[in-house]
Amino acid sequence: MSSLSLPIETDRLVLRTFERSDIDDLCAYHMLPTMQRYVFSRTRDEAEVACALAIMRNHVSLQRPGDTLTLAMVRKGDKILIGHVSLNWSDATAGQGEVRFCINPSYSGQGFAKEALGALLDLAFDHFRIHRIFARCDGRSHHSIKLMQQMGMRLEAHYREHALFQGEWDEELHFAILDREWQRSAKVKELPLRHRVA
Amino acid sequence: MAFVLPQEPVLRLRQPLRKLLEGQENAMALYPTYPLHTERLTLRPFTRGDVDGVFAYRRLDEVARYLFDHPLSREECALAVQQRITQIGLAEVDDKIILAVELSETGALIGEVSLIWRSVEARQGEVGWIFDPGYQGKGFATEAANFMLDLAFGPGDMHRVSARCDVRNEASWRLMERLGMRREAHFREHAIFKSSWDEEYIYAILWQEWRRLRHPQEEIS
Ligand SMILES: CC(C)(COP(=O)(O)OP(=O)(O)OC[C@H]1O[C@@H](n2cnc3c(N)ncnc32)[C@H](O)[C@@H]1OP(=O)(O)O)[C@@H](O)C(=O)NCCC(=O)NCCS
Repeated sequence: MSSLSLPIETDRLVLRTFERSDIDDLCAYHMLPTMQRYVFSRTRDEAEVACALAIMRNHVSLQRPGDTLTLAMVRKGDKILIGHVSLNWSDATAGQGEVRFCINPSYSGQGFAKEALGALLDLAFDHFRIHRIFARCDGRSHHSIKLMQQMGMRLEAHYREHALFQGEWDEELHFAILDREWQRSAKVKELPLRHRVA
Repeated sequence: MAFVLPQEPVLRLRQPLRKLLEGQENAMALYPTYPLHTERLTLRPFTRGDVDGVFAYRRLDEVARYLFDHPLSREECALAVQQRITQIGLAEVDDKIILAVELSETGALIGEVSLIWRSVEARQGEVGWIFDPGYQGKGFATEAANFMLDLAFGPGDMHRVSARCDVRNEASWRLMERLGMRREAHFREHAIFKSSWDEEYIYAILWQEWRRLRHPQEEIS
């Protein structure tokens, strides 16, 4: 694959790889219990966040299946790290990728996640030539559900009690989008929150 | 997808099923005592004598169409039967019970049903089926699969049982709906299957849903 040119600029954000000095801003949201779901390693204290940061600092490109690219979302004006998005190249033969995202709740509700995820999907489809991108989320995470619908992603799966998470029955949704379905300026689609699969 | 109630009468376990290794923490093993009987069928472990019976349907294109396997040769059937002979109990994750389904009246081998232990901790199982086309359309697959659900939720103590199939395999997902399973997933182009894009359904049923089907009168909290 052709070389990746980073950082990526969006309207209000700079998306760049993680740096050692990101630890404080990362601690501000990564330790929250609600963040522990699709993280690369569990983080309950600063030392564990440092481990997670070390992992994410290595997520700099997609060379082979299994690789992950993780980009910090940095606000243009004040240079504050407000969250991150990542793209995992899960399967080469079928061109599959998974996106994940975390945002500091203090900065949510302003469209930053949508902006970052939009740039990540552009990258996935245009640069990495991925065929299908999927994302998982907690069935109770209404912000994430809304975000994925806004991205134009389809609800593909709604698992009920298929696993245990933190000692309780879990509910998980999968959303997906194919390369031919992705539109750069995806129109905001207001779908009902729990519409049926298929 | 509407929640479909099965039309058939409720299946009852005729045979007491034994749980070995009871009382172990978390891990519950399932070793049914064979043969098992339903109204019209006998479910039993495969034996070496089943190779020709299996070959009779596993060699067919129409049977293999939505299976991961291509149509099998007789040698491949012998190998498949060999593997199945010991797949009769669940002791740890990914173990499978794959049973030969016989028509009780004639003793003819008409297909197989399976139950896989997908997660011990979360008590998850997966069911599957392959039947001889000569014996399809008579509710035999439904009868055998219902019994596997009873095995999974009863003595197997499972919490959720799922099944998957190609979207085009209407016979299979209609069977899932007859069993009272709900469609939980519809994946599009998420993988390659036999050189083209795969499109797949996943259906599932929870313990409490199965209970309600078998005991419609009782209120379960
Ligand atoms: C999937 C498969 C097992 C389904 O078999 P099947 O014969 O359609 O299923 P059943 O035995 O439950 O029979 C149901 C049919 O018999 C009819 N039937 C007749 N008597 C019945 C009875 N007592 N109870 C229920 N159904 C009855 C039903 O109306 C139904 O027919 P319909 O589909 O025309 O409405 C079979 O098609 C198969 O083996 N396919 C090839 C292998 C395969 O693809 N396996 C699954 C991979 S995911």
